[in-house]
Amino acid sequence: MTLKSDIALPDLTEINEESPEIEHIEIRNTDHTAWPLLLDPNQHSTPCIKMVHQEWRLELEGIGWFRATNGQTLEWERWDDSVSDRDIRTFLVTSGLGALAIQRGELVVHGTALERDERAIALLGHPTTGKSTLAWCLLQQGWRLISSEVTVIKADRTIPLGPQQIKLWHDAAQKLGIEAVNLPLVRRGLKRYRITPPAQSLATAPTPLSAIYILNRSTNGDANNKDTLLGKIKVSEALNQQSGLLALRNQAFHARFYRGMNTEARLFMQATGCVRSTPVHRLHLPDDIQVMSEGLMQMDLLNPASPSKPEPGEREPFND
Amino acid sequence: MTKDAGYWYLASYPKSGNTWCRVFITELRRLSGESEQEELHLNQDISTGSIASSRLWLDDQLGINTCDLSFGELDPLRGNAGTSQWVFAEGERFHKTHDAFRSPDSRGRPVVSTQGCNGVVYLLRHPEDVAISLSNFFSWPIQRCIEFLIDSEAALIPSMRHGGGQVRQHMGRWDQHVRSWADQSILPVLTIRYEDMLGNAQETFTQLAQFLGLPSDSNLIEQTIINTSIEKLQTLEAKVGGFAEKPKGCDRFFRSGRSGEGAEQLSLEQRQRLEESLSATMKRFGYTGPTNQ
Repeated sequence: MTLKSDIALPDLTEINEESPEIEHIEIRNTDHTAWPLLLDPNQHSTPCIKMVHQEWRLELEGIGWFRATNGQTLEWERWDDSVSDRDIRTFLVTSGLGALAIQRGELVVHGTALERDERAIALLGHPTTGKSTLAWCLLQQGWRLISSEVTVIKADRTIPLGPQQIKLWHDAAQKLGIEAVNLPLVRRGLKRYRITPPAQSLATAPTPLSAIYILNRSTNGDANNKDTLLGKIKVSEALNQQSGLLALRNQAFHARFYRGMNTEARLFMQATGCVRSTPVHRLHLPDDIQVMSEGLMQMDLLNPASPSKPEPGEREPFND
Repeated sequence: MTKDAGYWYLASYPKSGNTWCRVFITELRRLSGESEQEELHLNQDISTGSIASSRLWLDDQLGINTCDLSFGELDPLRGNAGTSQWVFAEGERFHKTHDAFRSPDSRGRPVVSTQGCNGVVYLLRHPEDVAISLSNFFSWPIQRCIEFLIDSEAALIPSMRHGGGQVRQHMGRWDQHVRSWADQSILPVLTIRYEDMLGNAQETFTQLAQFLGLPSDSNLIEQTIINTSIEKLQTLEAKVGGFAEKPKGCDRFFRSGRSGEGAEQLSLEQRQRLEESLSATMKRFGYTGPTNQ
């Protein structure tokens, strides 16, 4: 997707090509009261999200209105003058672009994608599962960022460039040894930072996908899992196709958007095609970032067919 | 069960019997044939519904990553989550919450959805006993728990420095929390004291089952009470090697379940401090402090 926007989008890669052959998607500020009435929103609509086929609207009280239509236009209007461009683009670049890509028939997932040796991995997980922290650790080890938070997997199994900024909470930044004082905030009032990696850590072209990882973060609820208590990073064996499909479907970017815009069947077909050609693994992350970082150095995430072996007597934690 | 069956909240200040109540409902449904489990399994079966503060649920309902919102932006929106909850929580209809009904950030609105909600069971427990149980659960010194109970800013996950699977849950002082639910007039409310669940179990749990539209045959209630006694739950917890909702540092979730531990273990000064701050609501619900003993 190439976008033509009336609001600056520093999260995305800027291109300066002016070619009539490039199809631009328009992002523009419009008056939401002039949008046509949605008389019969899909049953999966909520008070905040209104959807029908090829139409998606988000109303965020105090922030603004957003509308994606036919995979072609993304409109927005701020709630009032106190809402900054930064506030608007936070939701344009995530929910807005995600909805637009779904309308365009793309497989969109909650995930971050990284590249090394011209091969990509996708780290999938809902917010707060540790994608950004893991991605930061991998960037320090020579990987390059393709897309963060919202990731598209194309039908030919390539990952196009997407938002190339990482969002980190204050505590995570501290644990990673990042000096937070001068970092830009995701939004005013949040203790959450928006980090743009240096140019050499950013991928510059779509990259073929080698493996998909579903992230599991150590939580208190894992108290029964002795492997978890050991705080080790673990890769499961590749999931069988049925489990892989289920896992991938569960990481679809806002599954409600697919349902509300009547594209759930297409999601299944795309996800099925994807798991047929790409191995899906579970990646268990320890809570300790230092342990995570050290563990990653021992792993080859591009060749997940050879996951780290459990030590003698250790139980393999995943058995899908 | 149809979509029209609606849903309920099981609301409480933490450590006031919410989990026991959910285990009871789970077992009652199992014994009455509403669910097909052969036996009660703590870490598999007691998902009676969502927790109203679930970030995943809120993200789904609001269509955004709620990590991108401040508390002041999120709390007024939270009441909008839940009207389509059937999509997310198929078949689940008893939702847990530790939030106060309203928060200082919610602009006077409930922080939970009220649309389609049949009512709320509000569970409360003597604040002296809550202090002891909190201390065990969070591994906090008792004095910290006393201060927490009388802190008008008290909240679960109060930090803006990290995310998590749940959003910030404002509770306020113990008495503010109780009154926020007991005195709200939007949802029908059944207020149940933990002490009555212990001391007058048959009548109390029958009331609970009837309010929730669950089977309330006396033999069924009696058997469910037996199957979910604290001793049985302790055995089940040991069997599964630790209850999933138990935090790090907490030896066991189902600890003693007794009432009166606060009066035994708190200092007179600590008890007085609670009573001074919470006395009106304590008296209203039949709880005495050191002054009246």
